[in-house]
Amino acid sequence: MPSASDPTVTPATTGPDPAPTSPEATTTAPKPPTAAAEPAAARPGPATAAGPHPAATGRPESGAAPDGGTTTPATTRVLARGRVGWIVRAVALVALAAAVLSFPSLAPNPYILSAGVVVLNYAVLSTSWNFVGGFTGYISLGHGALAGLGGYGTALLVTKAGLPSFVALAVAALLVAVLAVPIGYAALRVRGASFVIVSIALVLILLLVFQSWASLTGGSRGLVVPRPFPGLLRPEHHRVFYFLFAGLLGLALLAWWLIDRSRFGLGLKAIREDEDKAEALGTPTFAYKLVVFVVSAGFTALAGGLYALWFGDLDPVFQFSILTGSYLVLMALLGGVRHLFGPLVGALVVGIALEYFKVEFGNTPLHLVATGVLLALVVLFMPDGVLPAIGALANRLFGTTQSSIREVTAAQLREERTAGARVDAVAVPGGAQPTKERP
Amino acid sequence: MPSGALLFQSVILGLLLGGLYALLAAGLTLYFGIMRVVMIAHSAFLILAAYLAWWSHTRLGVDPLLSMVVTVPLFFGAGVLLQRLLLARLRAATLTMMSVLLTFAIAVTIEGLLGYAFTGTQRRIQLGYGSASFGLFGARIAVVKLIAFGLAAVALLTLYLLMKKTTFGWALRATIQHRDAARLVGIETEKVAGYGFGIGLATAAVGGTALALDTTIYPSLHWHWIGPLMAIIVVGGLGSVPGAAMAAMVLGMAQSLLQIPLGTTWAQTIFYLALFATLAFRPQGFFGGRLAQRF
Repeated sequence: MPSASDPTVTPATTGPDPAPTSPEATTTAPKPPTAAAEPAAARPGPATAAGPHPAATGRPESGAAPDGGTTTPATTRVLARGRVGWIVRAVALVALAAAVLSFPSLAPNPYILSAGVVVLNYAVLSTSWNFVGGFTGYISLGHGALAGLGGYGTALLVTKAGLPSFVALAVAALLVAVLAVPIGYAALRVRGASFVIVSIALVLILLLVFQSWASLTGGSRGLVVPRPFPGLLRPEHHRVFYFLFAGLLGLALLAWWLIDRSRFGLGLKAIREDEDKAEALGTPTFAYKLVVFVVSAGFTALAGGLYALWFGDLDPVFQFSILTGSYLVLMALLGGVRHLFGPLVGALVVGIALEYFKVEFGNTPLHLVATGVLLALVVLFMPDGVLPAIGALANRLFGTTQSSIREVTAAQLREERTAGARVDAVAVPGGAQPTKERP
Repeated sequence: MPSGALLFQSVILGLLLGGLYALLAAGLTLYFGIMRVVMIAHSAFLILAAYLAWWSHTRLGVDPLLSMVVTVPLFFGAGVLLQRLLLARLRAATLTMMSVLLTFAIAVTIEGLLGYAFTGTQRRIQLGYGSASFGLFGARIAVVKLIAFGLAAVALLTLYLLMKKTTFGWALRATIQHRDAARLVGIETEKVAGYGFGIGLATAAVGGTALALDTTIYPSLHWHWIGPLMAIIVVGGLGSVPGAAMAAMVLGMAQSLLQIPLGTTWAQTIFYLALFATLAFRPQGFFGGRLAQRF
């Protein structure tokens, strides 16, 4: 840390113990983006379900038959709703972008701004995670390690190879993406359980290697990353990186959105709903999973590398922590893995909560308990996240139209069917089959 | 080239360590067989049992082995409740993934509570016979390690007899093999699955007590156990108890032997290497592993 920057920001940058008002500021100040983001992100919920999903008719497993049977008024209503939804979504998107971009000038002190950078970092990471978790339903607890690899890769390329910071960042992300191929190859050949095991093992093995290989990585003493903009004062540094992270977030969201609308994304979602059927219908499931895993790893490494450049100090215990991976999962699940903005919303909630906890309770193990309990509650009671819940609420309040294509899981369909009378099953000709249980 | 005595010592230590691994992996395999659940919290419960043993020794002055009188039934009950109240509520289609998250959440919660209750300080039981050892063909074997192995062996044998000889064991195995068919012949599979979970968690209680005898414990220790255990059940073929036991012995031995040239830290990597190699070349596992092919 260059001492030149210190005098300007004495009260706030010191971190855990700012002025007594600061804890409150932590909770209140970032509120505007949260408040703005929620409606903004809530809109796409019903809208995506209703409108522009022409490709979704091709979903192999969702019964497309009821679609053909709908009457014309309903179709026009859906179309009109789609158009309105489109406008609402555009407005909401602009509002969200404005809220995110204006935050640095609204932040009262550099500490809040640095907290904003941390939250944005989480948002990028968890959106990157969502490429795998959201599309294919494979839950990885190891993405923290991929981010750590990106961070250490960037740092080592800067310090040992002497590359310019951002070239090193790009090269490191590329290297991690290449490394993700063999990892994905081992992890994705088998279903579910083994994937999770490999993702956990990845974190543990990398922690072991980076702690023990002290001659290269600095071991437990950590690794100092030279700052890319040595001339900048601390608040300016935060501001620049805030916008860099915002740009990366935009890029990740754009990529997710493009995949979501593509045939490739369709295949991935088919894997999520029923991998056997997807394979039987000719989806190259293994290749699809591998490609999306590599894309996800690349974005994760970019975020990790950017974090390394921002923070300037890497410690294996934090870089290769299984807890980081679980935060990402928690954020994405809380927001809603099926939604573009789900991980972002989750990152806002969980990221702010984490910062708050750090300020309020310091370094006690209680944040572990809070994380665990919250994760358990989300898994048990809200596995689809808050965005679908808000979307359903909005649907109930503002309109009764049932969208033509339902964004529900095979499991929900099955539950509905088993709960509802058999008569229903007759009315839905497309999909009475999925009651078949898993072998 | 290390001396013969050192090699022999390592082989003995590897066997003793492998026994403990085998017991713990058996518990994990049981959960996976019953519900296709990868129980991340298994090793957290292991550390919890170790802490309870340590606590009963330092606070109550009881021999840590006696703490099993309380912990084993307690963990059995906890296992039944865990299965009936939490895991059974998850949707069937996403059970494997969500159960991982749920048990992960439990593991983190236990770690946090242990850290809160006992602080992060490293703890160790000081036993009268803690430093006792005896020689065997030039190798020195600590008595506590032998006791730990004995505990693991007795627990595994009990588990084996329970599974093979009792009516409940038949019902449990039937539930693992084919749940619907088991229900058709009149087995109350829900209840049996709950008890199966209880037994799995009871093995963690025994293992934790054995662990507490000769290991320094701290709240985050469970991460050092879950990795090797996960590797063992994958190498053994998910869902196969004999496979897991074999893999545990082989890998425990390998770890112990590799410690001679590589040191303790790098020797641990054998588990992860074995895990990656297994998944890359033989995803169904090397021993048994009839179930794993489908997952």
